[in-house]
This record gives sequence, C-alpha cells and structure tokens, in this order.
Amino acid sequence: MCYTVGMISESKLRILTESAKYDVSCSSSGSKRKNEGGMGNGYAAGCCHSFTPDGRCISLLKILLSNDCVFNCKYCMSRADSDVPRVSASPEEICELVIDFYKRNYIEGLFLSSAVHISPDHTMEQLLLTVKKLRNEYHFHGYIHLKGIPHACDRLVREAAMYVDRMSYNIELPSEKSLKLLAPQKSRESLLIPMQKLHSDVEIFRAEKRKGHFLPAGQTTQMIVGASPETDGQIIRLTQSLYRRLGLKRVYYSSYVPVVHDALLPDVPAGELREHRLYQADWLLRFYGFDAEELVESDGNLSPDLDPKCAWALRNMQFFPVEVNSAPLEMLLRVPGIGARSADKIIRARRYTRLTFEMLAAMRVVLKRARHFITAGGKFYGSENAAAVRGLLSSGGRTPAQMSMFADSRGMALALPSDLETARSALRGEL
Amino acid sequence: MIYFYDGSMPAFLTAFLLAYADEEATVTSRSLQLTLGAETVFVQADGARAKRAEKRLLGMDRDCLHDLSTLLRSGDDDRDMVAFRYLKFLTQQGRPVRDMLAEDCVLAAVECMRRVGYEVHRFHGFLRFLECSSGALYAPFSPDNDICDLLVPHFRARLPQFPFVIHDVGRKKAAVYDGEHTFVAPLERAEIALSADEEGWQSLWRNYYASVNIPSRERLKQMRGYMPVRYWKFLPEKYRSEPL
Ligand code: SF4
Repeated sequence: MCYTVGMISESKLRILTESAKYDVSCSSSGSKRKNEGGMGNGYAAGCCHSFTPDGRCISLLKILLSNDCVFNCKYCMSRADSDVPRVSASPEEICELVIDFYKRNYIEGLFLSSAVHISPDHTMEQLLLTVKKLRNEYHFHGYIHLKGIPHACDRLVREAAMYVDRMSYNIELPSEKSLKLLAPQKSRESLLIPMQKLHSDVEIFRAEKRKGHFLPAGQTTQMIVGASPETDGQIIRLTQSLYRRLGLKRVYYSSYVPVVHDALLPDVPAGELREHRLYQADWLLRFYGFDAEELVESDGNLSPDLDPKCAWALRNMQFFPVEVNSAPLEMLLRVPGIGARSADKIIRARRYTRLTFEMLAAMRVVLKRARHFITAGGKFYGSENAAAVRGLLSSGGRTPAQMSMFADSRGMALALPSDLETARSALRGEL
Repeated sequence: MIYFYDGSMPAFLTAFLLAYADEEATVTSRSLQLTLGAETVFVQADGARAKRAEKRLLGMDRDCLHDLSTLLRSGDDDRDMVAFRYLKFLTQQGRPVRDMLAEDCVLAAVECMRRVGYEVHRFHGFLRFLECSSGALYAPFSPDNDICDLLVPHFRARLPQFPFVIHDVGRKKAAVYDGEHTFVAPLERAEIALSADEEGWQSLWRNYYASVNIPSRERLKQMRGYMPVRYWKFLPEKYRSEPL
C-alpha cells in the first residue's frame, strides 16, 4: 500500500520502539506549555492514553532516532557488538509520526531517545534538529521528553533544553564501579555533570524570569536494579541526593531483564518485588516527608515482607497510636494504611465532627492495617503487641501484582498528580 | 410520591422544591422506576421557580450548582436521589457541606462527582479520533456518564485548526466543534468517509502498541483495572477490524 511521504515503515517503527521500551519513564506531567498557534499543549497532571498487557501506561511515543550504537553497554541489545538490524529514522519521519498520532489522541507527546550513532555530538545534533523541526516547522506544542547523550557538547544540550519539556540522563547503574564494568564508555561524570549544569541553568532561567521555556518539567533519571550488587540502602540514598542536590523530578528504577548473555551479568531477571519496594520508598521520600535513613533496615536493605512505611512504623511504635481527630497531617501520612487521599478525607471531615471508627469505615478509609496505629475518639481497635502486628501485616513475600488494590484505583489519579507510574506504586498497597 | 422529571436542571430544581417536604419522595428521571400503584407526578420545569431556587442555593454555597450539574450527568442509577439528598442536606445546613464526609449523603455525592470527573480525565486520554476525508476528526465513544461536551475545551485548546465531533453513541448525542463554535446536538448515526491515510496510521499505532509491551511481565488484571474492557470497543489498539 502507498501512504503519504514521510510515513515511517512498520518494520523501522518496530525496531526503534522495541529498543526504547526499557526506558521506564512515560510520564507526561509537569508542563503547562500553551498552544501557540499550532497543535498541542501541556497537561500538568499528565495523561495516560492506553495501557499495554504488561500493565504499563502509554502516554508518550517512546522511540529511538537510531539504534545504531558505537557504545558497548553490556546490558543493552543495541550495543555495538550485538548482531541486530540497524536502522535510523529521519527527523521528518519522527515529526510526521508524532503529529499524526497526536492528532488522533493516541499520545500525549514524544519521548525521543537514541543510541550513540556515529558520535555523541552527531547524535545530539540529530536529536536537536528533530525537536526544533517539530516545534518550529510542525508547530507542535505538546509534551517532549528528550534523552541526553553522554559526552555531547554542552551547547547542544542547552539549546535542546529550550525546546523540550523534560530531559533525562540515565544514571544507568547505582554505583560508579558497576557503571565502569557494564557501561565502559559512560563515566559517572558524563552523566552527572550535564545533569548538574541543566539544573543550574533551570534555576538561573527561573530566577531571571526569562522568556520562553527551559525544561518546564525538569529532569528525571533511571537506574537498572538487580544487574549489579548494590544494596537497597545505597539506591535509596543515591535517589535522595538526586532529589535534593540535582532537583530531579523523578528517579525511575527498572528491574534488570536479561536481554543479552554476558559473564558479568546475572542470567535471571531481578525480582519485581524489589523494584516495587524501591518505588514505595521513593514515594515516601517525595510525598510523605521520610528521610532515606528512616527507611533502610539495619541490614542495609528494605524489608521484602513489609512495605517500607509499615516497617518503619513497627520499628517506631513509640509514636503510635495517634489520634485521628488531632494528629497533624504529617503524622497521619505516617500511619501504615493511610494514604494521601484518606489523610485528606480525615482532615476535611474532622473539622465538622469527632470521628469514630464507624465513620472512618463509612468514609472508606481502609482500616485493616491502620487500626493498629490509630485511635479514633480515644478508642483503639488494634493489637498492642508489635510482634503480632508484624505477623498480621506481613505480606509473606507476595508479589506486587497480588497486592494491587484496584478497589481504590479510581480516585487516585485525581487525588494525586496522575503520573501513572507513581500512582501505580502507591496503589499497590496504599502506603 | 414519585417525582418524575426530564433530567434537566430546571426540572430537577422544580421537582426539588415540590418534593422537599415529602419524607417518602423519590425523584427520578428514569422511566424504569415507575412502579405500579405508586403515586406519580410528572414535574415540568417551572423557569421562574427554578431560578428562585438557584438563587437561594447559590446563597448557601456558590459552587453547589456546579455540583448539581455534575451529579445529573452521572450514569449511576441513583443519581437523582443522590443529588436530591445532597441538596436537601445543604439546604438544612445553610452552608457548604462538601467536606462533611462523615455524612452518608455527602459522601455519596462526593464519590459520584468524583466518578464523573475521573471519567472526563480518563477520556482526555482514551478518546480516539478518526480522520475523515474532509480533514475533520470524529471520535465515537460510549461513556458511563453524560460528558461529551465536557471534553470539548480540552481538545479545542489542543487542536484548534481541526473541526471535530465527539459522539456519545449510547446517548445518541454529540459535542461538535466546527472550527469556530461548539455546540451539542442529537446524533443517531454518523456517516463518515475516512481519509486515505487513516488506516495506515491506525496500523502503525497497533504496531507500536504491540512493540512497547514487555510480554514477560504480563499483568492483564492491572491493564483492565486502568483501562476497563467496556472502553475497548473504540480503541484501535484493542479492536482488530473496522470500527463500528
Ligand atoms: S549507549 Fe549503551 S545503552 Fe545506549 S544504545 Fe548504546 S549501548 Fe545501548
């Protein structure tokens, strides 16, 4: 069949998206970009357009400009050594695809990434060319997330930041040692320094209230979990410093999936339970006022049996029970089983009446876990024995899928920024 | 007494005034609820009385008519009574009640409004436009709640150059943007001629949908939780053959 010039071929699309899909981030939140006489705008809360059978949200068209790589990261199927078909898309092919998908409301925007094709600078130039074309010639004002290329020149990176909503350099592995071993051409500096520069450029841009845009949705990063020996504690501390020092919007974890065999890499995929616990801990850092040190167990990891909030509460029973009619919001949020939405309901409702357990139940505050940690009107319905509570609350190593609580999934997206990956991590067991 | 009305806001408000003091009142816009033997009145909208009721309600809570309009859009069977009880409680209290979540009637209303709002949010993502040969866009869907016109501002801001029709095929009505104005009109069936490229882009989209999935991590239950099966009928990535 013959279609419009510029329509990408099915096989090229397949290759370029197959290799992009292990980038976990799909969020389209954080940008309020206006439609300035063309097509598209930002949707600050983010928006999911579809869900794939693996339960993940499709928000952005996630695609590589090229999978033809000169680098040799051991875990990657596009690495130079690997014997796979190589293709590159033209900037026009990407632009047409974005415009036609966006027009039909398939996507919220573009997540454009690339293998290091020819050289870092060449690749960054092509990426820049594509996003400029999309903004200036196709007048597209929807969301664009652009991957930063390590070792590319600053000038190109900074220019790209003026056209896109979000950028990400993937930190790839949680320690410098693992990075050296598994991604020999990427150094810690080649990833962290551009992140630092972009962070300070964003700050300057905001402080000087300059015209135009400069990464309105900030930066994110991603690391592979389970391909290298770091503890949960190392990962959580690194995450915290990325939030605090580099002002990142999100840190994503991707459980290692073996796509290539290498003596340096494990042959088994990392457990999804671990990834799930890390996301729960990450959520507690960002929205619940926890510090990394509070979350990590004495063995340097997160508890596999308990969600990190429960585990923290059981180590700190001296703070409990708290009275729901008077506890401050920060404390309510620390009660296992009470999430942001329940805490909000409690705060609103208690202004009018003294809440009882019956009322909490009627308000659909889930009490299964919370009752061990709260009093309502001075009454306590939990167990005082911490060991017994631990036994009751322990999930006994169930998988995250079994813990999902879809009953509550409907409201979540409205109550909180509907960044679906984050909402999902909260939903699997309301924290 | 059963107070039957046509589903419109002025008629609801008229019924509200009539039924207010009736402890046994059932207010409904669904013909199914006409029980044999029960006393029934058909309430016609009384413009002047409805206006007065609006004014009084706004004096107590300036957002309550927005709440009412949201509640009357709900597809829930009991929406009329949920709205009736909520407004009655508001009138008794004489001030905004939406935070009094320990009250059943308030919680029911708040949850009902949340479901409507959530479906609007969902369809910002799940609505699918088909490109017609004229260049206009056509999106058939069948939402739980009566929301087609609520979707217009979002898409109009994004796609100002494209006339579009958002067709609620269940309620047989459509929200239309003609490139300049927006309006709602009854629409039974739409005859559309697809553009030459439409099928090609749909096929690329299906191709994309299949290739971003990670098959070793199948979680169908989760997928269906986020994207209920009843919505699939209008999603090209979920239907294989020609739409409708
Ligand atoms: S730079 Fe490394 S991770 Fe990226 S495509 Fe090349 S080999 Fe893969």
